[in-house]
Amino acid sequence: MSNNGRKIKSDWNLIGTPMRKVEGLDKSTGRALYTDDLVFPGMLHGKILRSPHPHARIVSIDTSSAEALDGVHGVVTGQDMPTTYGIIPWTPDEYPLCVDRVRYVGDGVAAVAAVDEDTALRALELIEVEYEELPAFFDPFEALEADGSTPYVHEPKKADWNGNVTKKVHLEFGEVDELMDGSDAVVEGEYFFEGSTHTAIEPHCAIGLWQAGGGFQRQDGESSGKLTVWSATQVPHYLHRELARVLEVDQAHVRVLQPLVGGAFGGKSEPFDLEFCVAKLSMITGRPVKILYTREEVFYAHRGRHPFHMKYRTGATAAGKLTSVDAEIVLDGGAYASFGLVTTYYAGQLLCAPYEMPAYRFDSTRVYTNKPACGPKRGHGSVQPRFAFEVQIDKLSERLDLDPIEFRRLNFIGSNTRTINELRVTSNGFMECLESVERESAWKDRFRKLPFGCGLGVAGSTYITGTNYPIYPNDMPQSGVQMQVDRSGRVAVFSGASEIGQGCDSMVAYIAAEELGVPLDYVRVLRGDTDFTPVDLGAYSSRVTFMVGNAAIDAARKLRGMVQEAVAEEWDVKPGEVLLAGGLALWAPDTERQMHVKEAFNLAEAKFGTLGSTGSYNTPKDVHGEYRGATIGASPAYSFTAHVAEVEVDVETGIVDVKKIWVAHDCGRALNPVLVEGQMEGSAYMGFGEALMEEQVFKDAEHGRAGLHDAPSLLDYRIPTSLDTPELQSLIVESIDPEGPYGAKEAGEGPLHPSIPAIANAIYDAVGVRMDRLPFSPPNVWRALEAAREADTLRKPILNPGAGAPTSTPELVPGD
Amino acid sequence: MEDFAFHRPGSVAEAQETLRGTEDSKFMAGGQSLIPLMKLDMAAPGAVVSLTGIDELRGIEQQDGSLVIGAGMTHSEVAESDDVRNAISALAGLAGSIGDPQVRNRGTLGGSVAHADPAADYPAALVALGATVITDRREIAAEDFFQGMFETPLETDEVITSVRFPVPDSAGYSKFPNPASKYAIAGVMVARNGADVKVAVTGAGTGVFRATAFEEALAGDFSAGALDGASVSADGLVSDTDASAEYRAHLVGVMARRAVEACG
Ligand SMILES: Cc1cc2nc3c(=O)[nH]c(=O)nc-3n(C[C@H](O)[C@H](O)[C@H](O)COP(=O)(O)OP(=O)(O)OC[C@H]3O[C@@H](n4cnc5c(N)ncnc54)[C@H](O)[C@@H]3O)c2cc1C
Repeated sequence: MSNNGRKIKSDWNLIGTPMRKVEGLDKSTGRALYTDDLVFPGMLHGKILRSPHPHARIVSIDTSSAEALDGVHGVVTGQDMPTTYGIIPWTPDEYPLCVDRVRYVGDGVAAVAAVDEDTALRALELIEVEYEELPAFFDPFEALEADGSTPYVHEPKKADWNGNVTKKVHLEFGEVDELMDGSDAVVEGEYFFEGSTHTAIEPHCAIGLWQAGGGFQRQDGESSGKLTVWSATQVPHYLHRELARVLEVDQAHVRVLQPLVGGAFGGKSEPFDLEFCVAKLSMITGRPVKILYTREEVFYAHRGRHPFHMKYRTGATAAGKLTSVDAEIVLDGGAYASFGLVTTYYAGQLLCAPYEMPAYRFDSTRVYTNKPACGPKRGHGSVQPRFAFEVQIDKLSERLDLDPIEFRRLNFIGSNTRTINELRVTSNGFMECLESVERESAWKDRFRKLPFGCGLGVAGSTYITGTNYPIYPNDMPQSGVQMQVDRSGRVAVFSGASEIGQGCDSMVAYIAAEELGVPLDYVRVLRGDTDFTPVDLGAYSSRVTFMVGNAAIDAARKLRGMVQEAVAEEWDVKPGEVLLAGGLALWAPDTERQMHVKEAFNLAEAKFGTLGSTGSYNTPKDVHGEYRGATIGASPAYSFTAHVAEVEVDVETGIVDVKKIWVAHDCGRALNPVLVEGQMEGSAYMGFGEALMEEQVFKDAEHGRAGLHDAPSLLDYRIPTSLDTPELQSLIVESIDPEGPYGAKEAGEGPLHPSIPAIANAIYDAVGVRMDRLPFSPPNVWRALEAAREADTLRKPILNPGAGAPTSTPELVPGD
Repeated sequence: MEDFAFHRPGSVAEAQETLRGTEDSKFMAGGQSLIPLMKLDMAAPGAVVSLTGIDELRGIEQQDGSLVIGAGMTHSEVAESDDVRNAISALAGLAGSIGDPQVRNRGTLGGSVAHADPAADYPAALVALGATVITDRREIAAEDFFQGMFETPLETDEVITSVRFPVPDSAGYSKFPNPASKYAIAGVMVARNGADVKVAVTGAGTGVFRATAFEEALAGDFSAGALDGASVSADGLVSDTDASAEYRAHLVGVMARRAVEACG
């Protein structure tokens, strides 16, 4: 089935084999250059003054003392850039610096450029801002109740609307209520998914350089300047557009460079205040200006995982077939929209595989609160509902006396099908994923059979391989690659892709080397410069390998065709008989007949002139329904994952020790299995951290300043170190996608999803206690254990209790 | 961090003289508490007088049923000392549980005691073992020495030279560590000398304290079972993101039972 069309490894020389990352040695030896490594003559250092209030009107700002300070070259405020922006064109609700209102503790108010950071910091202290404090909203449910008697977080678009609502989505597929009523078992649950931050090791950093005049003479005689911005961003193209628009510079005179990025995970996928500030400050001072966020600022800039408050009802037949799913979700969005419109859809849209749902309804509302804005984090919008849903399935399986892996198999949606919300699913290796984790974890011998305190849990998931549509509507390709070969045999790849550590430079290099037959070290990848590379939309939604990979194959095969033709002419054979491999051109019928690939390139250059090609990729358009919102969640391909987690719970302290996670992931084809395993382990690690440790806590007025982040440092904010991380076993499943490059799909986000519910389900197997709220930190688990002790339910759950036929009375699952 | 002068004298007397020479100056041993404070501008000494070059502060000696450990001994040295392991293995274990290898290689007994962090490990050992803090000018019983959060009777120019630990019949230490720093969220040291049992708690409160109810229970029946269901009152305990006062109170009971089990 999903192995259909599977090519044996020997069809490729490099693809499918373990290879180094092309920039790996530079990174491990410290030679690699990140944005903060760049230093320019005369460069100034910028700092941003941030609001101490969660919600306030700016009455006045006096920057004169700061400007007078020795060493200060320029100061800007919101008035200098009074144009709103937002990554989603329909929700532009942010200014580079606040103009008249601050909306969270940490909102940017003014920025300073000075000779060094210390001077800039001293200058910030001299800026006088008069605020008029406003009542703030911290609780999303209170924000929903608001009646406008105090200012909403944002002005409502219509007079009678609640300005605290970013977006509301209600979608319904099939006969939800009828099928629910007719179910043999219905499980109801309330869940809370805690917010979390990305904790990329590299904080955001940007450098702006304004060259007045810039050598450009406009027709009206005025000469326009040129703006160059280096930034640790994962979306140089969108940044390019927004810088031009907000700063009113012709886009043709804006250049965005993206040095190597030290991790992003979604946290750098939209423009941030610092990028506008370095640009504007450079325009004012005429010098290059750098701003590097402190770790604390990263916590305030945030755009991390949204806290989700979720209610699910899930129905099934006595035989274990899902009947109906009904979900109500409130997203705590923080102060700005960010990607929130998409998140609100993803919260519901991405749940419809790998299980078949005869009916599904979701009601999803994103609410503004006066806290740092939430946004996309690895597994954008779908990790939270997946947690709730996979725990629901565990509860349902138990009600129905079914092994939870068996339950999942029974409901498998299959390949080459459509989901209930009309998304097209092509390749689907979920069954193999389940089989792998079942086998490797010795599930059948151990589930419900380990001693009290020890348990196993399973969960499954799916994720998109790229969003089907760009963020701003257009018909141009999503990805472009240019290639050229030169007389030395070298291949230069001009790639618009964003290398954020995931390995996309390597990926295009592997493809160029594979298709053109050159050694890997003959390939140069030139990337991260909007002046020279074609557009790729960015490193988000797990789109890069699929889209840039296909564009690279397109470009490489055009060149290969020319080289084959030229060599064939020289040898007087058919072009199709000419192979390019291992640094040679070879004649397939008799491979003794060969020449160095460099000679082959020279023949081609003699025949066709300078050798170059372009390749592009755009998505198929018939992969979704026609209803409003149908395109959100649509993807050219979906990855599938299953995890089994093994835990040991210390029932006295509440410490959950995750012993091991088995991670099986269908990535289509592993172009480089080492990088795929790295993504699988990194994802499972990140999910593990969210499950057990991470918490976005804000102070309330009784414990400090309301709205202040409680732990904006890596000492106080908990993420796992390598010492805390369980053993992770990666099990690659290759379903060979018909449209992916060599059959590849995504691997960077999908494998995060099941970690959290698998651990929750394993805790239940260990001690019979349901953890429906994140995180499963020692105090939270201890409280749940205490409640179970009091209710006398603290025990090993039993498989096949023979409890008789299930009734349709919903099992009410208490919250905390 | 503000600029400061740095001195590294060779004797206690010289160190004191140097210290008195500059206003607002500070002794520094391993720097593992002082430097973080300076980085946060919470301390800005004009001069830093290092104690790391002073031989008088070094060494571990057995003396009439006691172990005398020089104030300048690092946590690693204490953890790895055969003398300490043989005499009071729980103390070696405690030193080996502090922070991480880098912190243990720099941080010292004297520095930890002088700093009197309410979540530090050593204070529990000093109090449970009935140790004596020895300075250049006097001896102070541990229970009189730790006076609350960062509070000690030390004078500005007073140097801790060593700590004397009476060797108990048995002792055990168990802590629930802060996952990042390994400081105690709740750490309990139990020491038994014949019928006399001392239980000292660190990390849970605003300073080290004795759990007298536990001591009484253990005096009658020295077993983990004697503490079944026992906990201390949450009143006055610390509440933070890692643990509420209520949870800390519970942990003190659990750690005490585990410390009793660990007693050799
Ligand atoms: C990451 C990290 C993790 C840590 N984890 C733990 C932990 O798990 N458990 C724990 O207990 N501690 C922990 N610590 C603290 C560590 O043990 C320190 O070493 C200790 O608190 C201070 O010792 P020091 O020698 O470094 O003192 P310093 O920092 O040099 O000095 C601290 C204070 O003591 C004074 N002082 C130093 N020596 C003397 C002396 N002989 N006489 C008089 N005054 C003196 C100094 O003037 C200063 O005020 C940790 C520290 C760090 C940075």
